[in-house]
Amino acid sequence: MAFDLLTTVETGGCSSKIPPRLLEELLSGLPLSADPKILVDITTHDDAGVYKISDDLALVLTTDFFPPLVSDGYEFGQIAATNSISDVYAMGGTPLLAMNIMMFPSTRIPLEVYPEILRGGYDKAKEAGVSIIGGHSIDDYPPKYGLAVIGTVHPEKIITNTGAKAGDVLILTKPIGTGIILAAHRLGLASSQQLEEVKTHMKRLNNDGARLMQKYGVTGATDITGFGLAGHALKMARGSGVTIRLDMKRVPLAEGTYDLAGMACIPGAAFRNLEYVEREARFDETLDYNLKMIAHDAQTSGGLLISVAEAKADRLLADLHAARHPEAAVIGTVEPKQDFSLIIG
Amino acid sequence: MKIVDTRGLVCPAPLIKTRQGLTEAGADEPVQIIIDNPTSLSNVKRYLTDNKLRFSVAEEGAVNIVTVTGSDEVKVKAENEVEVKAENGAEENEAKVKIKVKAENKYELKGNPEEWCSLSQIPEQTRRNTVIAITSDRMGSGDDELGTKLMISFFRTLVLLEPPPASVVFYNTGVKLALDDSPVLDHITELKEKGTGIYLCTTCINHFGIKDRLPVGSFSDMYQILNLLKDADHIIRP
Repeated sequence: MAFDLLTTVETGGCSSKIPPRLLEELLSGLPLSADPKILVDITTHDDAGVYKISDDLALVLTTDFFPPLVSDGYEFGQIAATNSISDVYAMGGTPLLAMNIMMFPSTRIPLEVYPEILRGGYDKAKEAGVSIIGGHSIDDYPPKYGLAVIGTVHPEKIITNTGAKAGDVLILTKPIGTGIILAAHRLGLASSQQLEEVKTHMKRLNNDGARLMQKYGVTGATDITGFGLAGHALKMARGSGVTIRLDMKRVPLAEGTYDLAGMACIPGAAFRNLEYVEREARFDETLDYNLKMIAHDAQTSGGLLISVAEAKADRLLADLHAARHPEAAVIGTVEPKQDFSLIIG
Repeated sequence: MKIVDTRGLVCPAPLIKTRQGLTEAGADEPVQIIIDNPTSLSNVKRYLTDNKLRFSVAEEGAVNIVTVTGSDEVKVKAENEVEVKAENGAEENEAKVKIKVKAENKYELKGNPEEWCSLSQIPEQTRRNTVIAITSDRMGSGDDELGTKLMISFFRTLVLLEPPPASVVFYNTGVKLALDDSPVLDHITELKEKGTGIYLCTTCINHFGIKDRLPVGSFSDMYQILNLLKDADHIIRP
């Protein structure tokens, strides 16, 4: 029996990110660079930074790493790499090169897990057309893995949190529910099919989503990760100066998510995300409680939330369905800015 | 009394056990949840509040004991029993789970009266939906200095009110009482911790440009404020 990486994580299903409100406070005092070549920085809460090299070339830089969320080293590597590279895709870029970031205990768990994690990362990078050309390791427990990724994008085709326009519709490319299903799995409440489904979603690169966004001239998008669907939608609404309305009944859910939420299998991260979002959000009175909490479920390696002109939405959606994103769906609309940045119904 | 012991369980298992205990408890049977970590306590409290369940929290050594005594929904129905809608999607249980509580807030004393002590002390008003409308940063009109003093005194007294009000709504200059340097901020925070909803008028916040200086409370639009006032059993406006 291979070593179970989940035995190294003590926090249970609760996601490992620093609570969003606390993070904003901690980052608020940082000096920002005034270099005009910096096209995207932290101020818009975007997925990656963008730096202009020339009139037709900009670099996209990002990094991401986290502790194990599945048992198998190879799969953990695949998911962590997919998640790291996703930030480049979310900006409409093409990933190019990456460096490994590995924290691994040299004594407490079998060493053969180490190359397994890296092999997962390398295989995913290869699929994305990314070369891993180095990295850094630290002796630490529990293990953590991810990539620092560099990609390229045309400076005039950057897709950001600030590009959503009133009148657009919102498309989500992957189902949500990974936080709930993974927490349920740890408690023995998720079926193996349910677990396999979310693993498949987490290993799915957002490369086709990025390609199709460029095809349809999309300017606003983000990927859905630790702050949940509502948290990332809020960041986009704020960044774009609009109000986003999410229709939770139309949001694709991983099999079992709704029932598990109904059993109160709601990870702590969802409550933290809710606290962050609720001051700027209005929840319709008719909103089902389970769907409300699912909207705040922390996702790992989630799909893209794409803001697209309504006239192009049907064609983009058809292309996404054809490109192995069968669950992609229109889940909301972008409206002129109102009292609340986010309305969830 | 149904006891749910969540000691030693990792998140979100305490919440799942809580929900299970609530659905298994008999009509008007209180549920006691034993929790040994602060994150689970906070999540369970939030879950109960969101589902409009009445509860109290007592700290006993290293653990917290959350006692769920009924539902706020009671006030809306006159029948002896009401159903709190709680859809349970669990595969093994297709039926909708009903949490039944008596509308008449009179629990029969069974078994050891000591055990029921906390329940029998809950007055009739527990079930009333009291809303405090704070429309100004001063209490009354005439003398501004006096009005400020009175408002501070009002909040100092309000935190002693048992049971605490369901909600406090702040609008016009009232929102300034929730500022980070407000003399009543600690009282507002205390109310929130007791389960009182704190609602701040978004239009007012934007008008005064104080969005970043409000550490507690939910931002509310007129729609939400109107609904809070509409659904109140009574409104207190100091």
